[in-house]
Amino acid sequence: MARCRIGVDVGGTFTDVTVLNCENGDLRIVKILTDVDEPWRSIIACIELGGIELRSVEHIVHATTLGSNLLLGQVGLVKPRIALITTKGFRDVFEIGRQNRPSLYNLFFEKPKPLVPRNMRFEVEERISTEGEIIKPLDVEGLRRIARKIKGLVDVVAIVFLHSYVNPVHEREARRILVEEGVSAEIILSSEVDPHPGEYERTSTTVVNAYLKPLLSNYLEKLLGELGEKGFNSKILVMQSSGGLTNISRAVETPVAFIESGPAAGAIAVAYYSNMYGHELSMGFDMGGTTAKASMIVEGDPLITLDYEVGGKVHSGRIVKGSGYPVRYPFIDLAEVSAGGGSIAWIDEGGTLRVGPMSAGSSPGPACYGRGGVEPTITDANLVLGRLSRILAGGEIVADESLARKAIGKIASKLSLSIEEAAYGIIKIANTLMSKALRIVSIERGIDPRKATLYAFGGAGPLHAAEIAVELGVREIIVPKNPGAFSAFGLLVADYRVDLSAPYLKPLREESLLEVAELLEKLSMRGTKAVLEEGASESNIKVVGMLDLRYRGERSSLTIPYVENYNALLDVFHRKHLETYGFRSEEEEVIVDTVKVTVIGITDKPVMPRRRVEEHRPVATGFRRIFDGYNWIDSSVYSRSMLKPGALLKGPSIIESYDSTIYVPEGFTAVVDEYESIRITCR
Amino acid sequence: MSVDKVTVEVIRNACIFIAEEMGIVLRRTAYSPNIKDRLDMSCAIFSSRGELVAQAEHIPVHLGSMTVCVENTLKYLDEKGVSLSEGDVVIVNDPYIAGTHLNDITLIKPFYFKGELAGFIVNKAHHVDVGGKTPGSINPMAKSLYEEGVVIEPVKIVEKGELNRRVLEELLGNVRVPEYTKGDIKAQLASLNVGERRMEEIFNKYGYSTVIEAWSMVLDYGERYLLEKLRKVRGGTYSAVDFLEYGEELLKLKCTLNISSNMIIIDFKGSSKQVDAPINAVYGVTYSASCYAVKSILDPDLPMNHGILRRLRVEASLGSIVNPIKPAPVAAGNLETSQRIVDVIHLAFSKCLPGRVPAAPHGSMNNVMIGGVFDGKKWAFYETIGGGMGGRPGREGVDGVHVNMTNTLNTPIEIAEREYPILFLEYSLRENSCGHGEYRGGLGIRRVFTIRRGRAIFSLVASRIKTKPWGLMGGGPGKPGEHYVLKKDGRRISLKGNDVVELEPGDVVYIRTPGGGGYGRPENRSRELVLRDVEEGRISLEEARIHYGL
Repeated sequence: MARCRIGVDVGGTFTDVTVLNCENGDLRIVKILTDVDEPWRSIIACIELGGIELRSVEHIVHATTLGSNLLLGQVGLVKPRIALITTKGFRDVFEIGRQNRPSLYNLFFEKPKPLVPRNMRFEVEERISTEGEIIKPLDVEGLRRIARKIKGLVDVVAIVFLHSYVNPVHEREARRILVEEGVSAEIILSSEVDPHPGEYERTSTTVVNAYLKPLLSNYLEKLLGELGEKGFNSKILVMQSSGGLTNISRAVETPVAFIESGPAAGAIAVAYYSNMYGHELSMGFDMGGTTAKASMIVEGDPLITLDYEVGGKVHSGRIVKGSGYPVRYPFIDLAEVSAGGGSIAWIDEGGTLRVGPMSAGSSPGPACYGRGGVEPTITDANLVLGRLSRILAGGEIVADESLARKAIGKIASKLSLSIEEAAYGIIKIANTLMSKALRIVSIERGIDPRKATLYAFGGAGPLHAAEIAVELGVREIIVPKNPGAFSAFGLLVADYRVDLSAPYLKPLREESLLEVAELLEKLSMRGTKAVLEEGASESNIKVVGMLDLRYRGERSSLTIPYVENYNALLDVFHRKHLETYGFRSEEEEVIVDTVKVTVIGITDKPVMPRRRVEEHRPVATGFRRIFDGYNWIDSSVYSRSMLKPGALLKGPSIIESYDSTIYVPEGFTAVVDEYESIRITCR
Repeated sequence: MSVDKVTVEVIRNACIFIAEEMGIVLRRTAYSPNIKDRLDMSCAIFSSRGELVAQAEHIPVHLGSMTVCVENTLKYLDEKGVSLSEGDVVIVNDPYIAGTHLNDITLIKPFYFKGELAGFIVNKAHHVDVGGKTPGSINPMAKSLYEEGVVIEPVKIVEKGELNRRVLEELLGNVRVPEYTKGDIKAQLASLNVGERRMEEIFNKYGYSTVIEAWSMVLDYGERYLLEKLRKVRGGTYSAVDFLEYGEELLKLKCTLNISSNMIIIDFKGSSKQVDAPINAVYGVTYSASCYAVKSILDPDLPMNHGILRRLRVEASLGSIVNPIKPAPVAAGNLETSQRIVDVIHLAFSKCLPGRVPAAPHGSMNNVMIGGVFDGKKWAFYETIGGGMGGRPGREGVDGVHVNMTNTLNTPIEIAEREYPILFLEYSLRENSCGHGEYRGGLGIRRVFTIRRGRAIFSLVASRIKTKPWGLMGGGPGKPGEHYVLKKDGRRISLKGNDVVELEPGDVVYIRTPGGGGYGRPENRSRELVLRDVEEGRISLEEARIHYGL
């Protein structure tokens, strides 16, 4: 068997295994339902199902949403017993949070359940000031009493003391005493997990890390064991929520870093293509069966956020503040809306047509699948409009148009529209929703979407991309070669990544710049060492130093790339401040909140073969009538596998392939380029 | 010609996006943390007739007051004989016109399409300081509006595209930190400009008559949505009474709901007369709190636009605490009175929709203002503190949370201690403060602090100190707030709802916010839940014995 790499994505519902043949670049996906009690078994099952020879595997890249699934109670692993020890007077910080509620008008809201019950949250006398001086010494006797209480009753202990990020001495002493008292549980210190001010966010990050640690290390251990038994003798790399890879031992230390890595892969794939094409700004648009996700890539790097809540709710593409557990680790910035092929269209109480958030999912699925679904879905609408073929997934599904018409007919009559008009309306409203997700990652982040290239992937992305591009004023769409597997491809082209940061919390002065530089140097040495250990080669390491700066009195900071020259640094900050917030203030003191380093170890990647391009007009494989909102018009239908580089076709056209359908509306042109991507532009 | 329903829905969404995008621009370009972090602002689009078409959901207290503001401002300008033209922007903060308090400055920009008035683009933002006697302008001791800051009646701050420097300078001359005010006004103007550009795109795309027609259908949709909800409500007249605290006195708040299948009238007849203290709520606040109360009970997804307002009337007699006569002071009407208005409407609703209304929440914003001089620099800190939510049909009240008319974030202790000479000693749930019931109320919060250096003036604006958050369906009341200062020399000063105390290092301030009322009879509470609460230390064994017979 040829050498290959494997990408594994363990979600709450499905487990996907992607195999990349390193010799010819072929990509293949095996998919099964996730075993929620023993998720590692699903990976083994996929490998067996796909007939993959583990000895020929170079490495396995592992991504998962298990972290979130665990916190939401969707996966049946045994939950750890956990204790939290805080400064006296503050054990409820973790429960009160920021005092806000996740919903303004809904009186029946719930806050996330505290992961540590109140009687397992202990307090001990101690206090450190903002300057790091000891105001009150640690009450050793009190701590010993706590130790005797929890001994043998907990699997993991989190310790969070106020201002420990400036002076961790009490947290460390507390750990020493617990160990001395014979507490054998794992002990996690907030000053080691997230050494930054903001007691609620630090507590939450630390507790989530503590909670996941026994679960995920046990999971990875089981997986390694089983793979070893099957003859696997290479390494496993774990994808973090930042989209970067890390090795198993680091992953086990900070499971909080890879809570939501599944969805990150799509953005990594877009970043890889953006670098290949040299695109300055790209947006990822990934539409599947239940949701659509938008991501933003600037100069080849996905936008990253530290503002994430695990297990939280999403409303119209934005994370609802206070609905989950905040985690201060880098996450790829994604906006997600409930619009996928299975999303259900309905009429609300004011008589208006709405789409989602309910979804028919894969079971019962859209009405046209004939598996018992009766509600009209986006897929049904696409079928009725003629955009989608009746033969789907290479013949695995034969859709029944009459069932789709019947389902849509129910709402059409309430709207006094014809069935095709109603179907057209469903698509229009879904497109409005999805455009919103793309607006969130562009306009809301201060980026003009009209300057970006739109990458459309996922089973349904290419079907909707052209109309969404018009909505956003985007000029060019790229549909990669295998849109349905594109996300998984991202797993196989990721780089190693280590993010390290330290608080500084002092004014930026010329004479103190040396101190900042030393701190950066220390971090980058730590980061480089870690990346080398993970297997990156020395010549392929990229270190980026950054400072979080703000004016005194401001609450949020801006991240500025570090340069040695004091005046240049200040100038970049003032300019970025003006750009972001509309003003600059030279007389105001500038504070350095955080010193940060990102170390990237660039991996060897499969090179996309470049084909010769010969411009030509391909022959249509057939014709189909499609509804354009007013009339039924004739559209050419092409088979994706028959289109060679250089093929140029005009809308209205439909391009069909095994895993996706591309819709090229009237007024658009599609060209197959040298990487076998289809580029769609508006004439 | 009627526009098809899909286009209407697309235009409706597009207008909400515009309002949201205006909010993003405002937040990003604003200077003060009030707008940037606490999101104390709102953006909306109105038709040329002054009807609310779309509003971004930012903060409940602006919900209905924007409508009152636009209506009053247009009337005011009309009476003064001022006509609007393209490129104008009107500024106003007079609460008796703009509908909240002086800190909220509203800008209104008429929008023209091909020379014809097509609508209004509006935003409102809470400015950190608008002058007056105390820093931050919310003065617990104010006897008249003029002690609360500068009052701006509607005037053009931009005229045909030209900034009116005289108006701006006059405003800046009256505030404590002119550069903040200027920055925030500029941010508001930038936000209006973005709104205008986006509106132009929509009008260009769909055409004038289609958009105008779609808007009118959007309003019909809102109206229909509310009517559909009302159809399921048992019509009738339902009254309730609750109380506000004013020094040693209690002021009455009475509301009568008149519900029929096509209208809700909320009437505050029988409420107390206005007072010489800032707890008067201008009509705009009363109106907003009423909109909030209706939306939260009937349907949290109720679309907010003028169509709903056609079917919701709020009546408040002039000269009463819920519709005072200028220049009565009003700064805390937004804060405390608005909460009580929601409480009393909810209480009336509980008689008409039993099983849909929770017991009373802690019902205060527990506003803490503290400031002084430290290291030769003036400092001022403002925060609001949550409490217990009321027990709900089928669910416990949430412990330690902001309710109803506010939802702003707290300031992290580690940040506050870094920026101000304050030391926090406790931030925790207040055990035993809940109202008991089958579903108990949420626990209040304890926040305890001292100052480390210098001297400081501490003021408190809070309520539910003399009265208790009521229980429902046999549930008991929540514990009232209990706030005091323990002076270094051992003296204990109990605090009333509006109080000011001078602090020095060693003095300790204790804030203990109220718990929520209980829902349902305590004897129906499951033993398992009682045991859990005792085990988790939320209620003591003794309380459990008294109230649940444990």
